[in-house]
Amino acid sequence: MNDKRGYRPGLVDLRLGEVSREIFVNEHIYAEEQERIFARAWLHVGHESQIPKPGDYFVSSMGEESVILCRDRANKIHVFLNSCRHRGMKVCRYDQGSTPVFTCPYHGWSYGTDGRLVGVPYFREAYHSRLDKEKWGLVEVAQMHNYKGSIWATWDPAAPSFTEYLGDFTRYLDLQLDGWDGREGQAEVLGGIQKWLVPCNWKFPAENFSGDTYHNISHRSVDLAGIGPSGAGRRDMGERDVSRKLHVCIPDRGHQTIHYVLPAGKSPPPAYLNAPIVAEYFRHCEEEKRRLRGEEARLVGAPGEIFPNTALLSRQPRTMAVWHPRSPHQTECWRWFFVDRDAPTEVKHFLRDYYIRYSGPAGMTEQDDMENWNYAHAASRGTIARRYPYNYDQGSGTAVTNYEYQGLRVPGEVIDLTETQSSEQPMRNFYRRWAEFMEADDWSRLATWRGNERKAAE
Amino acid sequence: MSAINVRDLAPGTSIVLADGAEAEIVTNPGDGMWLFARYLSSPRDPTLVGQEEMIFAPDVVALGR
Repeated sequence: MNDKRGYRPGLVDLRLGEVSREIFVNEHIYAEEQERIFARAWLHVGHESQIPKPGDYFVSSMGEESVILCRDRANKIHVFLNSCRHRGMKVCRYDQGSTPVFTCPYHGWSYGTDGRLVGVPYFREAYHSRLDKEKWGLVEVAQMHNYKGSIWATWDPAAPSFTEYLGDFTRYLDLQLDGWDGREGQAEVLGGIQKWLVPCNWKFPAENFSGDTYHNISHRSVDLAGIGPSGAGRRDMGERDVSRKLHVCIPDRGHQTIHYVLPAGKSPPPAYLNAPIVAEYFRHCEEEKRRLRGEEARLVGAPGEIFPNTALLSRQPRTMAVWHPRSPHQTECWRWFFVDRDAPTEVKHFLRDYYIRYSGPAGMTEQDDMENWNYAHAASRGTIARRYPYNYDQGSGTAVTNYEYQGLRVPGEVIDLTETQSSEQPMRNFYRRWAEFMEADDWSRLATWRGNERKAAE
Repeated sequence: MSAINVRDLAPGTSIVLADGAEAEIVTNPGDGMWLFARYLSSPRDPTLVGQEEMIFAPDVVALGR
């Protein structure tokens, strides 16, 4: 691969392993990102379990835009721009709820949950019944995809399908959304969404969740405090001690993750031992997963990132996050907490307590991260600071393809962290994709894999 | 005449509209602006009787019988 391809000279130079601080703090670059990244990429909007009944809605965000995820009377799911077509006022100012209509509080235009304009004050008298209501419905996303209950959308009609956009990263999203026992799409959102602001650029958390294992020292205090489910460390994940720990990057897509692969025939060691009901539940799930999935059950999830701004954490705690850009210097973090919908109530309660102890604005591990993002950003804004790029050279040129561990093949570019402890391959993969989005004018240049697939076929 | 707070009106309530029509509330979305109502009478346009329409709050001038 030509490491210079698609890079903005001086901003992202992966040949040198350097990324300019400007891409984090420059207002013009931030404005360009809204058009070139957030108006084109597939973005996570929410989960169908948040809107179980007709009329239910959840107000979400796509980049800076407020959007409404809702289920219409016919049970069809939609994503609409939360802005009245008359003067732009938000037509929904609640976080979530249920309604037959979205009414603009400014002049009273009213929309059905299917987006159609249904109520126009003085339609007969002032508009003489001539306003074409069909033309003035809520703006709907160009494409929406329900992937195992998770709802994704893009404003770009030319974008590839969601599954093509994911490519070989699908299996990592599956680890997030499938049941602990291996059944497909069993996840439901537990409780509400945690939302909070961090004074940093959105790419700080995005690159962190891409698989930054180098910053583990930041979490030394939670490891020592023992916030994990069984009171030791921050997770009960004995499988980490017996697995191969990998960085897996999907080139051309910009998705990447940390990942564990258990040895052939090996099951994860017991966990949650201080809570017998939970321990027994997970023991049963692991057994079932092995029965249903066979060798695939050896794959164990860890933090990852779907380009551009969705973070996965499929194991402990099982959460997803979206890093909404609010300004070059501010990010609104949203975190969803997941459980299997038919897990016993005791298990859900136990996990809820653990999840919020770990993640979110009050989560002790996430607080460590926020501290870093906050002050790294602040210390990169000055005139002098901006002159000096960040270093992303760690492990450059050492990733392999066609990685296989005891009969299990792992697609993508892989670095074996069991050997190297750390690498910055995921961040390079992320910023390579960032640069491609910022430069490419259309999907004929962004869907680089199509050319690669052609070459492979030839 | 004091304005009627349409948020307080339950389905089944009869309302009188500014043009003299009378309608029965079918659904109240609770937004304080609109009601879904079925016409019981409409001197201005008798073809509306039996039809369901969205009624804008300022058009509700009184409660019906």
